[in-house]
Amino acid sequence: MDTPLILIPLLGGVAVFMPLLEVIFKGEMRGKFSSHLAVAALLVALAVVIYQPLTSPLELTASSSGLFRNDLMGLFFSLVVLLVALLVATSSLDYMKGRPNEPIYYSLLLFTALGMSLLAFSVDLIMILVAWELMSIPTYVLTGFWKHDAKSNEAALKYFILGALSSGTILYGISLIYGLTGSTNIFQILRASTGIPDSFQSLAILAMLLLVAGLGFKMSLVPFHMWIPDAYEGAPTTISALLSAGTKKAAFVVAIRIFVIALPVLHLDWQLTFAILALITMTLGNIAALTQKTITRLLAYSSIAQAGYILIGLTVALQTELGLIGVLFHVFTHAVMQTTAFLAAALIAKKTGHTDLDSYNGIGARMPVTAFTMTVALLALAGVPPLNGFWSKLVLFTSAIGGDLTWLAVAGVLNSAFSLGYYAWIVKRMYLDEGTSTTHIYEPKPFTIVLMAATIVIVATGIYPAPIYEFARLAVSSLIGAA
Amino acid sequence: MADLVQVLPWLVWVIPLIGALLTPVFAHINGKIRDIMAAVFALGGAVSATLLLPTALSGETIHSEIPWIPSLNINAGVLADPLSIFIATVVAWICFLIMVYSIGYMHGDPNLTRYWFFMNFFIGNMLLIVLSDNFLQMFFGWEGVGLCSYGLIGFWNKDELKDYVGTRGHTVLGLPQAYSPSQAGMKAFMMTRVGDISFLIGLLILYYYSGTFSFTELAEKTGWSKELVSAGLFIPAAILIFGGAVGKSAQFPLHEWLPDAMAGPTAVSALIHAATMVKAGVFLVARVGPIFYNAAEVTSQVTPLFITIAWIGVFTAFLAATQAVVAKEIKKLLAYSTVSQIGYMMLALGVAGLSTDFALGYTAGLFHLTSHAIFKAALFMGAGALIHATGSKYLHDMGGLRKHMKYTYISMLIVAGSLAGVPFLSGFWSKDAILAATLGASETSSMSIIYALAVVTAVMTAFYTFKMIGLVFFGKPSEHLEEREREGHHVHEAPKIMLIPYTILAGATLAIGIVGFFFEEGLHEMLSRNLEHEFANIHIVEASGGINPTALVSSLAAVGIGGFIAYYYYIARKADPTKITQNNSFARGLYQFFYNRWYMNAIYYWVFVKSVEGFSRITFKNLELGVIDKISTSVATSTITFSTIGRWVDINVVDGVSNGIASAGKVLSGVSRRIQTGVTEEYVFAYVMGAVLLILLFLYILLTGVSV
Repeated sequence: MDTPLILIPLLGGVAVFMPLLEVIFKGEMRGKFSSHLAVAALLVALAVVIYQPLTSPLELTASSSGLFRNDLMGLFFSLVVLLVALLVATSSLDYMKGRPNEPIYYSLLLFTALGMSLLAFSVDLIMILVAWELMSIPTYVLTGFWKHDAKSNEAALKYFILGALSSGTILYGISLIYGLTGSTNIFQILRASTGIPDSFQSLAILAMLLLVAGLGFKMSLVPFHMWIPDAYEGAPTTISALLSAGTKKAAFVVAIRIFVIALPVLHLDWQLTFAILALITMTLGNIAALTQKTITRLLAYSSIAQAGYILIGLTVALQTELGLIGVLFHVFTHAVMQTTAFLAAALIAKKTGHTDLDSYNGIGARMPVTAFTMTVALLALAGVPPLNGFWSKLVLFTSAIGGDLTWLAVAGVLNSAFSLGYYAWIVKRMYLDEGTSTTHIYEPKPFTIVLMAATIVIVATGIYPAPIYEFARLAVSSLIGAA
Repeated sequence: MADLVQVLPWLVWVIPLIGALLTPVFAHINGKIRDIMAAVFALGGAVSATLLLPTALSGETIHSEIPWIPSLNINAGVLADPLSIFIATVVAWICFLIMVYSIGYMHGDPNLTRYWFFMNFFIGNMLLIVLSDNFLQMFFGWEGVGLCSYGLIGFWNKDELKDYVGTRGHTVLGLPQAYSPSQAGMKAFMMTRVGDISFLIGLLILYYYSGTFSFTELAEKTGWSKELVSAGLFIPAAILIFGGAVGKSAQFPLHEWLPDAMAGPTAVSALIHAATMVKAGVFLVARVGPIFYNAAEVTSQVTPLFITIAWIGVFTAFLAATQAVVAKEIKKLLAYSTVSQIGYMMLALGVAGLSTDFALGYTAGLFHLTSHAIFKAALFMGAGALIHATGSKYLHDMGGLRKHMKYTYISMLIVAGSLAGVPFLSGFWSKDAILAATLGASETSSMSIIYALAVVTAVMTAFYTFKMIGLVFFGKPSEHLEEREREGHHVHEAPKIMLIPYTILAGATLAIGIVGFFFEEGLHEMLSRNLEHEFANIHIVEASGGINPTALVSSLAAVGIGGFIAYYYYIARKADPTKITQNNSFARGLYQFFYNRWYMNAIYYWVFVKSVEGFSRITFKNLELGVIDKISTSVATSTITFSTIGRWVDINVVDGVSNGIASAGKVLSGVSRRIQTGVTEEYVFAYVMGAVLLILLFLYILLTGVSV
C-alpha cells in the first residue's frame, strides 16, 4: 500500500466533487454538508497516514514509479500538514458558517491539503513542482476569499504575483539541475552525477540559489518574506493559519529533500549562506514583530522569526543528525502552536470584529477558553518550558553548537528570549488590562474543541516530548537509508 | 517505607504545584477555603521535605530517575542529597510561614485567586530547582519562578500611586526613579532574563560536549572537561552558567531589578525577593561550583571561575550596602541589604574554590544562606506589619513605635541584630564563617582587598540595620504618625496571623544563634561528607574551620563600630545626621551618588531600554518600509518589467480598491497602505534584490573562502 497513491483519489476525489454540492443542496445544508465532508475526508486521510507505519513498517521505503518515496519523512510531514488542515477545517465549521461559497472553500482547502501531503512524499523535481502548484494555487484563491473586502483582494493579488514569481524561479532552478545532472529524480541525481565539470560551477550556484529564493518565498525567509504580513492580514484568519502552519512546512520538506540529499552533489558549501539567512530571518522577524499593532501582522512576523529558527537546523544538517531532527521537531511544534494562535485570533476577530492589539485588553475574562489557549500557544512560541516549543528550540540550538556555529546558537537563544517580550505583552493585555467591555462572549464549540485539543498537544508533548522526538529521529534516518 | 522515601522528593515540589492548579477549584467553593487550602498545600511540601531530613542526616542520597527523551540521554529525576534536602526544608518552611502571613496581609484583596495560584506555583518551582537532578529540569523551575516573580511584583496591576516604589518626582539623568508595579515587574523579568539567556547558552554548550545534563553523571564522568578545555570553552561555559545565578540572585551587573521589585506586596518581597528565589542563584553556584572544580584536570583551570564569583560577590556586597545606608524606604533598605548579603554568600562560594579546603567556604556560604533566609523573611514580614500600621513605607514617617508594637519590636530587634552580626545570633556565626573562609583562601594576591571590602561592608551593614531600628522604633513619633493619630488611626500591633509567623522566625534566629557554633559544625560535617562522596577530586582537609581569631575580631569590631554610629545618631539621637550632608559638600555628593544607585540604574535604562526601543523602531521603519521604498522609486522606474507590472497593479489594484473614493482619499489610502501594507511592485523588486544579494553573498563566501 502506497500512502501518496491513496491520498490522491481520497482527497482529490472529494475536492473535485465538492463544488457540486453547491448545486445539490440549498441553504444551510450546503455549508453543513460540505464542511462535515471535508473534515471527514481529512480524518480518513490522517488515518491512512497513521495506519501505514503501524501495520507494515517494512514496506515503507517502496517508491512508486520514482515520483514518490513512501518513507517516514513523508509520513511525518504529511501528518503535520494534514493535522493543520484538519484543525483549520474544523474551526471553519463555525468561522465560515453562513458565508457564501462554502463548498468551494472546503474544496480548495482539500486541494491544498492534498498538494501539501504529496509534496511531503515527492522525490522527483517535476512532481515537486506539480505538487507545489497544487498546494499554492488554491491558497491564492482562499486568501482573496472575502471578495468584497479590498484588503483581502489586495493580499491575494500580492501573494499571487510573488507566488508566480517564485514558482518560475523554482522551475528555472529545476531546469538547470536537469541540465547539469541529466535527471529530475533526486536519487538518480545523487547517484548519477559523480562529477560536474568545474566550468559549470557557476550554473550550479545559480541553480541552488534560484531554489533557495523560490522555496524561501514559502518558507518565509528574509528577504523573500515581504508578502507575508499583508497576506496573513488580508486573508481569512483560518487561511492565515493554514499558510503559516501548513504550506510553509511543506516548503521545508522540499528543502530537506533537495538541499540535503540532492545538492551535496554540486559540492557547494552553503552552510554559511544559510547561517546568515537564518540569523537575518529570525532577527528581523522578531524586531518587526515588536512594533506591530495588529495580531495578524504580529503573528506573521513571529512566524517569519520561527522560520529562521528552523533554518538553523537545515544549516547544520550535514554536520550533525540533530540538525534535521530539530527541523522536524520544530516543524511539528510550530505547526501546532501557530495554528492555535491563529485560530484563537480568528475567533476573537470574528466575535469582536477587531484584530488590533488594543481590542485584546480584558479578553481573558470575556473569552476564557480562547484567551487561555492563546496564552499557552504564545508561551510555547516563545519557548517557555515545559511547553513543546522549548524542546524543539533546545534541539535546534544544540545542533548549531554541534555544527560549530556556536554564535548562531547564541543568536537563536537571544532572539528567542527577545521574542518573549511581545508574546508576553499580549498575555498581559488579555488578563491584566481592562477592556472597554466586560460582557461574556459566546465561544462556539468547533473552535473550543480545536483550541483545547491543540493546547493539550502543546502541553502533553511539552511534558513528555520523547515520542515525537523519536518519530522525528526515525524519519530523519529514513531519509536516505535503504532506498 | 523505603518506597515512600523514594517518592518524597517528588512530592515536595509536586504538592505545591497541584495546589496551584487547584486554586481556581477551591475558589469556586468559597474564598476562605481557597485561602486555607493554599497554605495547606504549602505545608504539604514542607512536611515532605522534613520527612527527608533523617536521610540527609544519615548522609544518604536519594536519586530517582525516569527517562524523558532517552535517545538524547535526557532524564527527569530528583536528587535528594544533604545539600538539596537541607535547602528544601528551609525554603519550604519559610514558604509555609509566609503563606500563613499572607492570609492576614492580603486579606480582602479582590484578586486573591491569582495571588494564591502564583504563590503556590512559585513554591513548587522553587523546590523543583532545589531537588532537580539535572540542569534542564532545574532550568524549568528557573523559568517558572521567574514568571511567578513577574506576576507577583506586578500583582497590583492597577498601578495605583500608593503602590509605586521609589520617590515620585525624583529623576536621575532625566529619568524618573519611581516605578509602577507593572513596570517593576517587567523590569525584573527582563533583567533576570538576561541571566537566563546566559544560563541557557552555557547549558547548551555543556550539554553538547558532555552529552548529559545530569549532575551525577557530570560528577562521575569528568572526561567532558578535556573536550571543553580544548575547545576553549571550559571557563566561558562555566561563567555563562554563573551568569544565570547573577541574574536570579541580583548580583552586579544585573542587580538593579531587585530594589524596584519591592513594588510587589510585602509578603511577596519576603518570600521571593528575600528568602527564596534570589537564593536560587546561590544554590546554582553551590551545585555547579563543585562540578567544575571536580572536573578540572588541574585546579588552576577553574581558578578564574572562582575568582570571578568571589569578586562579583564581594563587590556586590559593598555596592548594595552603600545604597542601603542612604535608603529612605524601609523595604528598599531591606532589598539593598538582601543584594548585599547574597554577595557575601557568593563570596563564600567563590572562596571555596580558591582554598585548599573546598568545604570551608562552601559551608559558610550555605550557612549564611540559611540564616539570612530566616532573618530576612522575618524582617520583611515585620516591615509589612509596620507599613500596615503606619500607612507609609518611609522610614522617616515612623518613629517611637516600640511602645505600640512591642512584639514586632522585639522580633525585629532580634532578626535585625542577626543581620548586623550581633554575637550569639545566627547571622553573627554565618558572617564570621565567611570572613574566616576568606582568610583561609590560599590563592590570589587580591584576597586582602576582598577581605577588607567584606569587613567594610560588615560595618555598613551594622550601621544601616540599627539606623532602621532607630528610625522606626525610637525617638518621637513622626509628624505623619501624629497626623494619623489626629485622624483617628491609632497605631496598633499586627494581627496574630501576621505576628506569629515572624515571631517564630525570630525564635529560630535566636535558637540557631545559641547553638551557632555546633550548628555550623554539623552543617560542615554533613556537607563535606557529601562532597567527598559525590566528587572524586574534592578532598576535605580538616573536620571544621574552628574559630579564626582575626575574623572574629574583625566581625566584632565591624558590628561595634557600625552599631555605635547608628546608636549615636538614630537611637540615642545625640546629633542630627542631616547636618553632615548639609555642611559637607563631599558627603552630600557621596550621598547623592549612593542614593542615585551609582547612576547605574539610569545608565542601564538609557542604554538598554531607550536605545533598543529606538533601534527596533528605526530598523522596522527603514528596513521594512523605507529602504526598499527608496531604492525602488529610483531604480524601478527605469526597469521596463517593473513598470509594466506596476501599471498593471495600478490599474487592477489601486484603482479597483479606491474605486469611488475621491482623489484626496486616494492619496490617504496610498499613505496608509504604505504604512500598514506596502506596494506590490516594491515587493517584487525586493524579492529580486534579495535573490541578487544572495548570489553576491554566496559568491563572496565562495571566493574569499571564509569559513567558520
